[in-house]
Amino acid sequence: MGDAVKLNGAEGAPDAWIEGVESPEFKTLIDAKQRSIVPMIVIYMIGYMGLSVLAGFGRGILGTKVLGAVNLGFVLIAGNYVMSWVLAIVYARISANRHDPLVKVVVDKARASGSAR
Amino acid sequence: MNLITIAMFAAILLISLGITAWAARRTRTTVDFYAAGKGLTAAQNGFALAGDWCSAAAFLGFTGLTALYGMDGALYAVGPLVAFCTVLLLIAEPLRNTGTYTIGDVIMYRMRQPPALAAAIVGTIVINLAYLVPQMAGAGVLIKLMFGIRYDVSVMLVGLGMIIYVAAGGMLATSWVQIIKAILMLGAGAIILFLALAGVGFDPLVLFASAEAKAGPNFLLPGNFLKNPFDEVSLGLGYMLGLAGLPHVMIRFYTVPDATTARRSVIWVMFLAGAFFACTTIFGLAAVHYLGPDALRVGNPGGNLTLPILAQYLGGGKDTVGGQLMLGFVSAVAVATILAVVAGLTLATSGAVANDLYVNLFRKGKVEEHQQVLVARITAVLVGIVATLLGIVAEGVNVAVLVILAICIAASANFPVLVLSLFWRRFNTGGVVGGMALGLVSSVGLALIGPAYLGANAIWPLVNPTVVALPLGILGAVFGSLLAGRNHEHEKRFSEVTFRIQTGLRSNHP
Repeated sequence: MGDAVKLNGAEGAPDAWIEGVESPEFKTLIDAKQRSIVPMIVIYMIGYMGLSVLAGFGRGILGTKVLGAVNLGFVLIAGNYVMSWVLAIVYARISANRHDPLVKVVVDKARASGSAR
Repeated sequence: MNLITIAMFAAILLISLGITAWAARRTRTTVDFYAAGKGLTAAQNGFALAGDWCSAAAFLGFTGLTALYGMDGALYAVGPLVAFCTVLLLIAEPLRNTGTYTIGDVIMYRMRQPPALAAAIVGTIVINLAYLVPQMAGAGVLIKLMFGIRYDVSVMLVGLGMIIYVAAGGMLATSWVQIIKAILMLGAGAIILFLALAGVGFDPLVLFASAEAKAGPNFLLPGNFLKNPFDEVSLGLGYMLGLAGLPHVMIRFYTVPDATTARRSVIWVMFLAGAFFACTTIFGLAAVHYLGPDALRVGNPGGNLTLPILAQYLGGGKDTVGGQLMLGFVSAVAVATILAVVAGLTLATSGAVANDLYVNLFRKGKVEEHQQVLVARITAVLVGIVATLLGIVAEGVNVAVLVILAICIAASANFPVLVLSLFWRRFNTGGVVGGMALGLVSSVGLALIGPAYLGANAIWPLVNPTVVALPLGILGAVFGSLLAGRNHEHEKRFSEVTFRIQTGLRSNHP
């Protein structure tokens, strides 16, 4: 059975979901997620697109020698590796410690009210 | 051409066929076929993601680009890691919570209208074929160079392999072929890294200094490969957003039991694949250091044989057992790499054709379970045959444009449509069609009139048009939505969509 068919049943009662989405527990979850995810998105987009724009238009800047033959460009490339790995670990921690318990509250409440499986 | 290569390759082939036989007995339902029963662990899916995402372009190409063009190679290598930040923060968990087997599932769940699903199917098929054909052509060239087998026979052998894996063993076999390939690739990378650094007293700074001394003062600057500054920006944008729009990688998130596992599998791949990408930069510089820039340009089209040549040198040289062993190992891993990637692409394309197009669009979901599996298997065989034929036809054609095109379409058409479907209340079927159409047409159109295809006669200056096509794709999606007008029932249902994105809960209202 395709997914589309399974889901057609839900069309009748969207109001129950609006209730779920407007519940304080769900709002707390969304707030917590936005507070951590949005800054992370800003960080990696600026970090990586900054490098890409400099690679195109800042050849001289990236060529500045920093450590022996290694120039600023390679330092920023290394920085992008470190940035990605740090963000991965930080996001894994925050989502496991803060988001997942909040999701559990919302799920438990929805299950208790019988509007979801 | 040596016996060690053949022996190693035969061993890899036998193991993967054994796995396929094992997986075939465990593949009975559609969930088995498309999603490996949703039973993979985070580590397993992390390795499989690494095997899926690291194509020959990553395994051989990044090293070659760094060896021939310096910093541009390193810029090519870091992008595919940063790309997973987008997947981790925006896509992996919502996708796992809303879809079943394909990206089309997500779009159909949100929009419930056939034109939206049709647009998603077109996007997936075009991207997958644009990605698949160069892989097949690359495999033909590579096997011809390494084993001395004719180009068309080489392509057919790869086609046969991927058809057997996918049609018989479905996602389970595909996943394990990718996991084994990832382990082999990382093993080869670790050995080469150790040998390359051992020769310079484990001081990578020596490699930088030596490469600059041998290849010239501009070698460590950007712009040696991508001459147009906007192409550097396009490369960055394409990677950062394109991965999240590549169906063959995104369907891997359906193989795990829940969103938490999907998230943890992204962390795995970021460390596994990211570490390998970082190593390719060292390998490229090491190749210049040990072999010199001139020797690298002989019989080494596009730099793709740099890594095998370097491995042979580090193993002891051309006429030693160690050198033969290393060359054989790296060559066998290169072929395993291609097989793992084309298997994933074949499976993703079969999902778009069998599940999205046939079952959900034509038959409105009214197809018996066992029949769906049969259709999926037949589709995999057909997709494999089409890809093989296109791969044979593509001999001698400049296929590099197609890889760029695949990532560009994924970033410009698929990514905006996917993200807006998940997070924008006003987004509707008009937006899906508008975004997909404008993103697709501008990507294909600009790539075809650019230098990658027309060379010196190019009408358009950029190899990679993402910097223009992506904004156009977003504009198409936004204006398409606004032009289609408001539908309050549809917007109201976005609450349900949001609830499911965040919790994975499905409605059971009658």
